[in-house]
Amino acid sequence: MASRQTRSASIPIPANPARNIESVIAIPFSTNPATRPRLVSSGSTRAAVASSPERAITGRMAAPVSPVRTLSGGYAAALNRGPPTQSTITTMFEPRVIRATGSPGHITESPVCVPISVPHTRRTSVPRVPSVSTTSIPPSVLRSTIPLPTAQTASVAPQFPPFQRPAYLEQSSLRDLLYTDAPPLRPSNPLTSELAHHGQASWASTPPPAPYPYLRREQSPSGDTDEDSTASPSPPSTRGTPAPAPSTLLTHPVLRLPTRWNEQDRHPSLTVSSDGRELTFFGPSCIGERDSAAARANNPIPPACGIYYYEVEIVQKPGGNKGHISIGFASPEVRLSRLPGWEKHSWGYHADDGCAFDGHHKDGQTYGPTFDTGDVIGCGIDFSQNRVFYTKNGAFLGMVFDNVGKGVDIYPSIGLRQSTESIRVNFGHSPFKYAIDDHVHAQRNNVWANIQSTQIDWDLLNGKGASADDEEKTVTPKVSIPKGGALEEERMKAPVRQLVLSYLAHHGYAKTARAFQAQCDDSNSRASGSGEHAMDTDRRMSSLDAEFDLRTRIDVINSVLKGDVDTAIALTREHHPVVLEREQGLMLFKLRCRKFVELILDASDALKRVQAEQAATEEQERWDVKEREREAYEEQDGMDGLGAMDVDDPSPEELVDATVSPALSTHTSSTVTGDNTHRYSPHRSITPSLAAKEALHTAIEYGQKLEADYKTDGRPDVRSHLKRTFGVVAYADPIAAGGEVAEMAGQEARARLANELNQAILESQGKPAHPALETLYRQTAAVVVQLGLLGVGQAAFADMSKEFLDA
Amino acid sequence: MSPKTIIRQEEWERRLHDLQVSKNDLNRLVMDYLVIEGFKSAAEEFSHEAGLAAPVDLDSIESRMNIREALQRGDVTDAITRVNDLNPEILDTNPALYFRLQQQKLIEFIRQGKIAEALEFAQEELAPRGEESPEFLAELEKTMALLAFESSPAAPPAIAELLSPAQRLKTAGEVNAAILESLSQGKDAKLVGLLKLLCWGETMLDERAEFPKLDLSAGTFTQSSAQNKQP
Repeated sequence: MASRQTRSASIPIPANPARNIESVIAIPFSTNPATRPRLVSSGSTRAAVASSPERAITGRMAAPVSPVRTLSGGYAAALNRGPPTQSTITTMFEPRVIRATGSPGHITESPVCVPISVPHTRRTSVPRVPSVSTTSIPPSVLRSTIPLPTAQTASVAPQFPPFQRPAYLEQSSLRDLLYTDAPPLRPSNPLTSELAHHGQASWASTPPPAPYPYLRREQSPSGDTDEDSTASPSPPSTRGTPAPAPSTLLTHPVLRLPTRWNEQDRHPSLTVSSDGRELTFFGPSCIGERDSAAARANNPIPPACGIYYYEVEIVQKPGGNKGHISIGFASPEVRLSRLPGWEKHSWGYHADDGCAFDGHHKDGQTYGPTFDTGDVIGCGIDFSQNRVFYTKNGAFLGMVFDNVGKGVDIYPSIGLRQSTESIRVNFGHSPFKYAIDDHVHAQRNNVWANIQSTQIDWDLLNGKGASADDEEKTVTPKVSIPKGGALEEERMKAPVRQLVLSYLAHHGYAKTARAFQAQCDDSNSRASGSGEHAMDTDRRMSSLDAEFDLRTRIDVINSVLKGDVDTAIALTREHHPVVLEREQGLMLFKLRCRKFVELILDASDALKRVQAEQAATEEQERWDVKEREREAYEEQDGMDGLGAMDVDDPSPEELVDATVSPALSTHTSSTVTGDNTHRYSPHRSITPSLAAKEALHTAIEYGQKLEADYKTDGRPDVRSHLKRTFGVVAYADPIAAGGEVAEMAGQEARARLANELNQAILESQGKPAHPALETLYRQTAAVVVQLGLLGVGQAAFADMSKEFLDA
Repeated sequence: MSPKTIIRQEEWERRLHDLQVSKNDLNRLVMDYLVIEGFKSAAEEFSHEAGLAAPVDLDSIESRMNIREALQRGDVTDAITRVNDLNPEILDTNPALYFRLQQQKLIEFIRQGKIAEALEFAQEELAPRGEESPEFLAELEKTMALLAFESSPAAPPAIAELLSPAQRLKTAGEVNAAILESLSQGKDAKLVGLLKLLCWGETMLDERAEFPKLDLSAGTFTQSSAQNKQP
């Protein structure tokens, strides 16, 4: 039973729809029929998982430091292996750490020369719960579709892995998806399988603008899974979270890099050293033309690398020219009894004759020098051209082969034929002999220049296919200009300007927008002489229009940012009444909640002033006579009584207007206007203590009204928001309280609300909630990532953050 | 061809939402655009409103724009003087650009009907350069052909184009790029590069997947259903 579970965890079988994610994720790559076999072969990797449950615990317990491995062993033994892994993970809720278990240590525990059957033995030897961890973790891990800020990923992940992501890979735009820490918890289905996500802990600390729905949605299913998994034999069906929609691809897939030779994916004649880097041929040498012994790395090479490179040192090659060491790449279905380059979907550079074999021709092509003991052979694949290159002792040997890795996953692969032959691989464990960084840099620049030579196709960008009808072109003015000319170029500027202008207007950069608009009009009339009057007038009209929107919108936003919610509400009510009514008054509700928080903050400020004053008074005590001190206290007591009486009097609605500003400045009674003024001003100007009490009363009154008004509103959003809002009351100084409370009360929350209100207003006017410029950026980034995941190597060299964001 | 991956709108939007890009990042993109495209006063306002330092001296924007305007109104001599005032190395180190300016000057002579000046200028200034490089010579011959047609409508488009405002813009664009390079700024605004990348990316991805494409004019998406109509 248990072993079945293991299997189901790794391979999408029908019985377990929830786990179908793998195949789901594989969609981008399913274009390639050859990926299927990989799944099968991954079974061996899975076996490795089961064979080293302790590892998982290590990772869990001792995450950051390796020394704890011993400790973990004890822990594992004590807790009977399987389940502890399980429960720890459950409670800690940090799937990512599990991945880190791929630390080199686990290798030591695996027998050096494992027969393929070993995993099964292992499984039976730990019959009770050996596979629970495997079963339970992947789903939860998979289901946590939480987006992860890439920067964090980069900073956290490398703490654990056996070696850092090689420096040259930092030039890949998709570097944040590439991992070297290789935990064999899941089969290493390339590119697709390890779509694990990062611990909520890390991502929760910096939530993106509105991530809460995601967080909540994710938490419950994984919680279910965890509960289930404690009961060891639970069939997969019980954790019946529905399979995600077929097109689901997590936003932050984890692409595993090769980190070692695969214990299970090797010819029996080869042994893998404990660190996973050395391959040695044991037993009788292969005889004849056909046989040989090959091994593949533990993970396929993600095309998202752009260029991937590894080096092999020939540790021992007896027999002079006879040794047919082959270095190259192979897809998973290539037989391990064949040298890379002898079979279809494998490519190899051979030591004995220096020829390069592409798997299609029996005779290799003359390529480079022969190589022998002590030589370091580098082997690189350039996914932007689907070509391969080799280096010898740091010298470049040239590009070779075509269509490498198109439609198949490829693994670093080595073939040996002679007894005692031995090689040692460097997957980035240590510096390379060849200046691979420069190589990648040059190619990156080529590819980028090529991409940047693309003509901007406005029809495409405006959502029209290439076949778009010509009449639609009336959208853009100046139809009569010949294509390709400089005027055409000028014409192309109009949409970009519109893009910028709408961005400025969206965020309320009014002065910039006006200056920009003026300059645009100016240059338009100058560039194209006369005959543009009609258009200019149109433009100006629309700009005036936009400006009008701008003004009120900016005022509204600024009011919220200043904490002046009343003005914000009043302005919105006047200019955009629909906004407040939308979603059954949700926006108004949120504004009123904010108003309450502002009142609490006022009260807190006022209290602070009282305390400051008291502190000052106490200070004075030491110098002053005791009588004065007593007077001061008496005075205050009296005031308090008065204040309290007064505050009870008016309705909270009336108070609303009065409290905000006066409470903030104690000595400005004169600035207070309206009916309320005479009622409070005499006291307020005398001592802050009264103001503090007043402010608190006002806040509480307002809160009560708020609660009463929304008592019947059962919407979960409303309930939880109200709850969190009232939570603020419990703190004398919410901002200083930190955590969620401060988040709820601080300037950040104002900014969030302001942004939300801004978006709501824009939406009510039929405008998108995000400026087109922002959507443009996000769309482009998403397209680049998707291309990288689909194996388009050039995407790795479209580094948006470097090209567009770096100052 | 293998079947396309299908990415639904909902899923796509979630990915877009999850991407990390800050308002400040976008502000800097906009600032870059304003600077490169020469919107000086807008750049000034923007640096105040968005609290963003301009990447270059804003005055350099102005002189760059003055040079561009001089070229656009046909005052090549003024433009050359201004470029040299800004940084004499720009023309010294870039013979092709200097030739382009001289050529433009010749065009302006012809446009104004100053045939004598045009011939003299061509012989004294441009001919020696034409000997330097066949490329220059071809350009010179093309320009001189203008004299033969005397701006008659029968002139072939390639030659008549030299007299069009587009030619001025082209020259102005080249000078602008050279100045920007001397200020170690890109010759194109990053925003333009972003648009190019998206065009490239959507075209590439379109071969492999169905996904919501951006409708930039509306800032929304269009489902690729139209794609299905095509064979």
